[in-house]
Order: sequence, then C-alpha cells, then structure tokens
Amino acid sequence: MAMLVPSQILPQTGETRRLLLKWVIAFLVPVLVFTLVWSGEAILNAALLAIFFPGSFSIAAIAAGLFMLLFYGIITGLTGYLVAADSGRQSLLDLWISMFFFTVVPILLIYITANLFVGLAASVVVWAFYYYGRRLVRRFRPPAPLPPLPSLKVLDAEMRATLLTRARLGSFWFALSFSLIWLLVDLLFYFTGQYGQASLVFLVWILLRSVLLPVAGWLLGSLGGLVAIRHAVPANGNGSNGDRAGAPVSTRRLRLLSATRAREEARDLVPNDLPLRSTGARNFYLLLLLALLVFYPMIDPFLFGPGTDSRLDNYGNAGYYVILALGLNIVVGFAGLLDLGYVAFFVIGAYTWAMVGSPQLTVLTGIHINPDIWPWLFWPMLIVAALIAALWGVLLGAPTLRLRGDYLAIVTLGFGEIIPIVVQNLDKYTNGTNGLTGIYSPAFFGVHWNVSTSEPYYYLILVLIAIVLLANLRLRDSRIGRAWIAMREDEIAAAASGINLTRTKLLAFAAGAFFSGIAGAYYAAKLSTVTSGNFSFSDSVIYLAMVVLGGLGSIPGVVVGALAVYAVNVLVLPQLDALGNDPSSIIYPIYTHILQVIPNFSFSNIRNLIFGIILVVLMIFRPEGLIPSTRRRHELHHTEAEGVEITSLDTPPGAPGFESEMRVE
Amino acid sequence: MNEVMLQLEHVDTFYGPIQVLHDINLEVRRGEIVCLLGANAAGKTTTMKTIFGLVRPRRGRIIFDGQRIDNRPASDIVRLGLALVPEARRIFPRMTVLENLQMGAYTRTNKAEIEQDLDHVCQIFPRIKERLKQIAGTLSGGEQQMLAMARALMSRPRMMCMDEPSMGLSPLLVETVFETIVRIRSEGVTIFLVEQNASMALSLADRGYVLQTGKIVLSDTAANLLENDLVRQAYLGGS
Amino acid sequence: MTLFLQLLVEGLVIGSIYSLVALGYTMVYGIIELINFAHGDIFMMGTLVSLFMVTNVFHLTDVSKMSLGGMLVMLVVTCLASIVICALLGVLIERIAYRPLRNAPRLAPLISAIGVSLALEDIAKAIIGPNPVAAPYLVPLVHYSIGSVDITNTDIIVLVVALVLMVGLQWLVTSTRIGRAMRAVAQDREAAALMGVNVDRVIAITFLIGAGIAGAGGFVFLLSTNNTVFNIGFELGLFAFTAAVLGGIGNLVGAMLGGLVIGLIRALVTYIPDRDLPFGLPHGGVAWQDAVVFAILILILVFRPTGLLGQQLAEKV
Repeated sequence: MAMLVPSQILPQTGETRRLLLKWVIAFLVPVLVFTLVWSGEAILNAALLAIFFPGSFSIAAIAAGLFMLLFYGIITGLTGYLVAADSGRQSLLDLWISMFFFTVVPILLIYITANLFVGLAASVVVWAFYYYGRRLVRRFRPPAPLPPLPSLKVLDAEMRATLLTRARLGSFWFALSFSLIWLLVDLLFYFTGQYGQASLVFLVWILLRSVLLPVAGWLLGSLGGLVAIRHAVPANGNGSNGDRAGAPVSTRRLRLLSATRAREEARDLVPNDLPLRSTGARNFYLLLLLALLVFYPMIDPFLFGPGTDSRLDNYGNAGYYVILALGLNIVVGFAGLLDLGYVAFFVIGAYTWAMVGSPQLTVLTGIHINPDIWPWLFWPMLIVAALIAALWGVLLGAPTLRLRGDYLAIVTLGFGEIIPIVVQNLDKYTNGTNGLTGIYSPAFFGVHWNVSTSEPYYYLILVLIAIVLLANLRLRDSRIGRAWIAMREDEIAAAASGINLTRTKLLAFAAGAFFSGIAGAYYAAKLSTVTSGNFSFSDSVIYLAMVVLGGLGSIPGVVVGALAVYAVNVLVLPQLDALGNDPSSIIYPIYTHILQVIPNFSFSNIRNLIFGIILVVLMIFRPEGLIPSTRRRHELHHTEAEGVEITSLDTPPGAPGFESEMRVE
Repeated sequence: MNEVMLQLEHVDTFYGPIQVLHDINLEVRRGEIVCLLGANAAGKTTTMKTIFGLVRPRRGRIIFDGQRIDNRPASDIVRLGLALVPEARRIFPRMTVLENLQMGAYTRTNKAEIEQDLDHVCQIFPRIKERLKQIAGTLSGGEQQMLAMARALMSRPRMMCMDEPSMGLSPLLVETVFETIVRIRSEGVTIFLVEQNASMALSLADRGYVLQTGKIVLSDTAANLLENDLVRQAYLGGS
Repeated sequence: MTLFLQLLVEGLVIGSIYSLVALGYTMVYGIIELINFAHGDIFMMGTLVSLFMVTNVFHLTDVSKMSLGGMLVMLVVTCLASIVICALLGVLIERIAYRPLRNAPRLAPLISAIGVSLALEDIAKAIIGPNPVAAPYLVPLVHYSIGSVDITNTDIIVLVVALVLMVGLQWLVTSTRIGRAMRAVAQDREAAALMGVNVDRVIAITFLIGAGIAGAGGFVFLLSTNNTVFNIGFELGLFAFTAAVLGGIGNLVGAMLGGLVIGLIRALVTYIPDRDLPFGLPHGGVAWQDAVVFAILILILVFRPTGLLGQQLAEKV
C-alpha cells in the first residue's frame, strides 16, 4: 500500500548558504525594483505623514501604507518558506532568469505604461516570447537530466530543526539586505534634503525600520518554515514514524479527489519538488493578491497618479469579462461544447435587470416602487437574472443535445443572432433600438452609489468574481465537473461509464448561462443603459477568444485571458489610436502613412483582425492557450513525441507524466 | 537468387512516446511470397503503415526497388509500384464498384491500358464483374475483400502488400482469397502478406517472419517455420 | 397572387446566390468535416474584387454609355478575376489556417476558421469602411414582364450563371478523375492516399473550387444588388450554411436545393403583416427575416440533422 510520489531527498545542511544566495537574490531584485523604481517608498511615507501630521490625515493613505507593510511581510515570509522547501531541482540561474521575467518585467512594464492591464498584457506577450526562447535554447542545449526520484522521505526531528533554521536565516538575510540597501538610499535622499519638513519623523522611521525589518524577518521566517514543514509532513504530523502512518492517510485522501485536485494535494506532500509552485507558496501569493485587490483603490493614486476613478471604472468593466470567460469556460473548456452564441445569455441577464430596475417596469406594468427601495431589488434580481439565463440555457441546450460539436456551434450561433433581433423587434417591451435607460444602480448600506462612482462597482465585481471563481473551482472538482471532462474527452465512453449525457450537457449549458446572466445584470446596472445593438456575434467571438487565449479548461488561464483581451480591446487599441493621432508620438509617421493607403484605418477598427489572427496562431502553435490546464495540454500534444516541456505553471517541471507516477497500489 | 524488392533496415516506429516497432529488419525478393506472422498487437499493421508512409519511422531505412521510401508520402510510394490491400478492406463505401476500381488506377493515365486491366481484373474476380454498377458499401464481406484486391491490382503494382486478407471471412472464402493470391503471384507480382492465419499463409509462402511485441523473433523459409516449435505452439494451435 | 409570384422570382434569384455559396460549405464539410466559417467572407471578398474591377480597372460610371462588346469584356473579366482571386484566397486560407490542424482535435480548426473569418471582415472594413458601398450598374437594367411578373436581365444572368456553375460542378464531381479523388478522400482519406491520391492537394483543390464558386457568387451578387458591405459574408454565409444544412451537408444537390428554399422562405417571410402575434409579427416580416432563417436552421438541426437529402450522419465511433 505504498504511495509513490516523486520527491527529492532534502538538501544537505552544507547547501544552506547556496540556498540563501539563490532565494534572497531572487526576491531581493524584484522587491528593490518595486520599492525604489516605483513608489513603495512613497506610499509608506504618505502613511507616516497622514499619521503624524494631522493636517494631512487620510484613511486611504494609511490603508495604502498598511498594504505595503503587509506586502513586505508576505514576501519576507515567502522567502523563508521557499528556502526551507527548496530541493535544488531548479538551478540558481534558471530561477533568477525566470524571476526576472515573471516579476521584474511586469513591474517595469506596468510602470512604463502607467496602467495595470496594459502592463500585464504587455508582460503576457513578453512571457510568450520568453517561453518560446527558452524552448529554443532547450532544444539546442538540453538541460542536464534530472536525478532519479527516490520515494518520499518524511522529515525527522533533526531535519525539521534544520529546515526551520534555514527558513529563519532566509527571511532574516532577505530582510537585512533589503533594509540595508533601503537605508543607504534613504539616507542619501535624506541628506540631499528630499524629505523637507517632516525630516525628523522620517529619519527616526528610517533608522527604526532598519532595525525592525531584520527582526521581523526572523519571525516571519519561522512562520514560513513552519508552513513548509507542515506541508512536507502529510496528515499525521508525527515525524518519527510518519513514513508508515502518513502514507495510508494521504492515499485515502488522494483516492477521493479528482485528478486535478490530487495533483495539487500531491504537491502539498512534496513541496520540495518545486517550491515556487507548491501549494504552500500559492497560499502566500493568494494572500498577496487578495490584499492587493482589496486595497487597490487606496494605493492606485500612489501608483499611477490622478485618474483613479476612470481606472477603477475600467477594472469594473474588465470584471464582467472575467465572469463571462469563467462561465464560457464551463461550456467550452470543461464540457467541450462550442458555444458561439454566448452573448445571448448576457443579453438576457442584462435585460432582466434593465426591465425590472428601470422606469420601464412602470411603463409595462404600472407598478410604482419607492425609489429608495427600488435599487435594493438589484440583489434578488441578480439571482433571478442568472436563473432566467440558466433556464434559457437549458431550453436551448435541450433540443440540441443530439448534435455533434460543430452543429451545436451553429445552433448556438443562430440563437445568439436571434435574441438581439427579438429584443430589437419587441420594442413594446424592450424599447427596441433605443434601448432602456435610467437603470438603477444597486444599493448598499452606507455606500453612495450611482453611475459615476466606480469604487462600489469595483468592490461589487470583486465579490461577484470571487463567488463565480469559487463556484467554478468547486464545479471542476465535483462529480459533475469530472463528468463534463469525461464527456469532452469521449462522449461514448462517458455514456458507457454511466454518465447521463443529457443531464450533464444541460447542466453545463445552464451553469455557463447562469454566470453570463450575473454578468449581464451587473453590466446593465453599471452602465445604467442597455441597447440591443450592443450585442453581436463578434462579442461572442471575443468571449471565445478570451477562453481560448487563456487556455480552454484552465481557470487561472481564462481569468488572465479575459483581462488580456479586455486590455487589448478597450485599453491598448484606443491608446494606440490616440498615439497615432498625436503628432509628437513615435508612431505618428507610420500611422499617417497607413492612413494614406487605407483612409478608414484605426487600430480600434482592426480589433477583430487582431483577435482573428490570435485565434489562428494560437490554434496552430499553442492550442492549449497561455496558461493551459495540464490535462488539456496532454490531450493536445499526445501525438507529439516530445520530451518534457516546461511551459506550464501547472505541472511541476522534471515530473513527466506526473499523474502517472502517482500510483496507488 | 532474385534481387531485393523491399527492404526494411533497423526500423523503429513510435506512437507518441510508445515504441511499437523495435529494430525491424526484413527483405522481400522479386517474385516471392513472404508472410509476416504475429499475434494481435504484435505490430503487423504498424509495419505495413510504416512501409507506406502512413506512420513515420523514427529510425531506420526502408528501400523499395533501390529507392528510399521512408519519409515519402503514401501517394508517392504507390506511384513507385507498391500497392496495399489495407486491413479491413477500406473500400470506398459510397462509390460504385467500378469507381472503386478506377480509383485503384488513379496513378495511371493511359486509358486504353486501364480498360485492358479492368477486363483482366474482372477475369480474375468474376463476382466483381457482375456488380460493377453496385454501390460498394452494399457488397458482402468476401466481395469487398475481392474488390480491395482487385482495386490494388488496378495500379499495376510490381509488389502487393496485404494486411490480413483473411480477416472476418468464412473458411471457404479464405481459401478463395489465398488461391487468388497465388494466381496474382504467378502473374509476376511480388507479395508481402501479413497474417494471423499462420498455417494458411505459410502453406503458400516462400519465406516468413514472426513478429512478437514489435520485434522480429524468427525468420526462415515457410517450410521450416511450419516445423518450428514456437510457431506451432503459438500460431498453429498445437503440439 | 402576382405579389406571390414576384416574391417567388426574387427568392429564386437570391436563393441561387445562396446555393453558390452553400456549395463551398458543403464541399469543404464533405471532405474534411469542417464548417469553413471563412467561406462567407471569401464570398464577400468576391464582391469586393468585382467592385474593385469595375470601378478601378474599368472605371465604370455609366454602363449605358458602354458598347456591348466592352460591357461583355468587362463582365467576363470581372467575373473571372473574382473567381480566380477568391479561389487563390481559399487555397491560401486552407494552407495557412487549416492544414496545420489536420490532425488536431475537432474544435481547433473550427476556432481557427472563426479567426480567419474575423480577420477577413476587418480587412474588408479597413478597405471599404464600415458602411455599405454602392456599385454602379454593371448592365443596363432591362425589365421583362412574364404575365404580371416583373423580371430583370440581371436576374436572368444570376440564374444562368448559377445554373451553369452548378451543373459544371456536379459533372466535375461525379464524372472526372479529380472529382472521384475528392469523393475518395471524403470517404476514406487513408485509403485514398493508398490509391496514390495526394490528399493534401485534393483538399486544396476542393477549397480552390469552392472558393472560386463563391467568387462567382460574389460577382453575381454585386451584379444583382449593386452594393456590398464588409459583413455581408457573415450574414449571407450563415444563410448559405443554413441552406447547406437544410439540403443535407456534404450533398451538392442538397446545397443547391437548400439555397433555393432558403431564398424562397426569406422572400415569403416579407409577406407577414405588421401585426401582433399570432396574426403577424411586430414590424412585419422584413424585420424578422434573419431570425426566421436561423430558427429554421435550428429546427432542421434539431429534428432532421441530416437535412432534406443527406445521408445518415452517424457519429463515427
């Protein structure tokens, strides 16, 4: 009953110094770049100013400062964790290079473009080239073969002590070197008089900080080390005889889980195999991401200067793209049913709230609702809209179940075309091409909420995304999620193993439509107006592009895909047009040349061309998308007899056929 | 001895990461009937597919009549005078029998010669002649097998490969098939035969190879193979 | 009754254009089981090429001032240019976007096709702008009256061109060597290769012919309607696809028949008066034309996926 999991004997104590060098530098560089090039410094200083100089008191500044402390704390703890969890399977140089590309590059790009999404979209492009280049390098200079994997070694007390010390040392050295460099720079600033009136407070703070940081590093390192140890020892927590007692528990646990989850669980058992991608490390990232998202409206002005409101507005719009992508991912990515009319459900969701939450309701039914109460109806109607959309999903899905994939695509496309026509022609109810206006914003306690405030919408969409994301994850790992995937792989085999195809397909349609309905209701409330002309086939295709770009079936993938597509669609292209029309910009001469040849040219007008080319190129060269799900990648590349290819954030490198190695005997 | 018609040298074939053929070496000489024996999943059909370029070998060379044919598309290989009667017949089901035969002569352009061959094939397969206008998918299994062989002959091959021509046929039909094979050989066509029906195949072949899990484990004259213990136990069902 | 007959003629004319485009869908589907989304846009490119030829090459402003010979040369050259350029475009698309995906999972080439379609539409939009562009008359319009039904010479040209192309294609596919090869590839690609058929080339030829016919369709469309727009290919392509499905996809005669039926239905829908259900439709049938066609598409796929003339399309196990 042995559970064989690939693993690596923990490194010898003599390696501690090398490990410290490796991880401290790997994190020091990006954090310093962030702090010094950008405004980590300024945010903390602003917080100090707000506290010590009552005239400049501002909750936002303090909250932003709080976030920065949290940020440094998490990074410090993470360093300790990683030092303890390392197995030496990733070489020093490899780590530094990939850390450079994955942290320093986006920080710089976001700084240069002064926009979070544009910077991230540019980073995605850089990453793609990086992957491509790395693969080329590996083709000509294959990496040294990895050492064979002995079976899992469970930690004994001595090893635990070593790991803990190592983690403490890691965080400590990270914090110390960071604070020393910071101190030097700050002193330089200080003595050149950059800090002006509040200089004494700052001097005290700088010195205090330089002492406190290493101490905090030591403590946080212990925390990181404990996390690493906890993840290294499965279940029973008793190191001395864990070898025997731990295995059955984890075996049982693994048996109960879907393959995706099992892989993650196995990573838990073996954090040392790939520290940066272990679940332990992922918890740190998640914490960081969560903090960033929650504090974002407060730190935005420090990061990008004025214009926070319009940026938050952008993010609020990007949010419903994310929900749509997650919903479509269920239908196309999990269940493998190509839906080309996804926009229809979005329209249904939007019109549901538009007709109930606007004066149109009075026009249609004569019902008058107190304007104080009316906005509150948004919350129940959000659910109702989603349910109505889901119902339509079932209605559409039911008759099309017998059809094969490409016919289904056409039926959904036809449906997507019909719905806007219907909405347009039933103008008695929907006001036709003029659309519905004056749709209420939602209401919430203590929030001043109307069309021009973007902050409440930012938080609303954040919560909605969180709910949809959780639902997606739960669905993927549930029985029905496995059924969807089985059906995608092979319908006949799935049916033969007892999956009710009808029910499974309908559920996929319903779930996808449900989320689309949520996005629609949100959209109607945010824009306060809906017009039937705003929804067309090209929207459905853009949603599809998000899912395909990110990676069919990959939840992190489609989120990234949605953001990237949104960035290109709404931010990059108009910005390029603005640049092209600006005589002082670099692209102005090129732009005018193009205009001479093609008089109607503008970058916004060729967005479909760009997405079209992206779709074709992706299908040919990377059908699994930017951040593929492991399963999907295996599926798409099964004919190629290539070696291990490390391009995914999802599979531990050096573990070919990771799943196949998790034998349960 | 006659010159070598078809030669496989150190051929390794993979399906993805899985190696199916291991270092296959075999040769077929002009005018011979050579058979390749093997159980299910031994790699017989893969060998055929490798010869015809439907699966690319990762290593090794395949030479037909002095020319390398590995890494050439199937259509080119057929033009060189090698024909295949594929496993499970693979006739074109929604075409008439005549059209199937015309497809067999696809590589040729001389209409008079094609007509002549059509007559000739109809002579060899009288059943086919009766059904020229019928849709091929409606033929019986035996007739389809005949059609597949006739179709292969229509390309005027110098060598014909057959992948399990006896599969799914009644014993009587199997006999007819094998008689036809001998007749085709007598007209100067070299024959390479892949079979599970070892006794039948060996009784008409000159030489044989035995394939086991992707490796050639035996090669000898057909007569010797019939006497070989291993072959007797594994394929002839007995003592 | 007169109105009905008149609509019938109109339906027949537009239907024959649908048929021409539907042929390309059905041929490509027949041979590689791909819904060639970009096919409608190839048709659109045909209208653009024709427009470009008459306005920029022949500098046509008023056809009534042209000599008969000059007009005929213009028509023939324009039609041929449209056919040739569309055919080459079709082959190019196949080479770039579909051939590398020959062995990929089913959805991959379909998504790639959607990508090509989007790209072509935007290229057209960049060239002619987002609004419909009017073309000059290609022939001096002559009205004939058969009984009380009015029919123009352009209608007759459309019908004749469509008929000639359809008959020609039918002959090509059933009676020639390349037609046999196409059918063989459609039925069993591997076996066809074993007959010495160069499968890639036959598939390319299929795209060549299908796209060429769409190019001819683009020409007659411009001839009969005198305008075009960048997304005409998407709309008309969907109707044509509906026609192909209605006739039974993979079936050439079915595609022709389906095109005519769809054209007739679209013409007859305009009959529906502007009243509330169930006695009519709000805004009248014209506003619902597209929706009706899509509804028909859905209904056929749901209740008779094999179409009117299609064989049983059993899922391959």
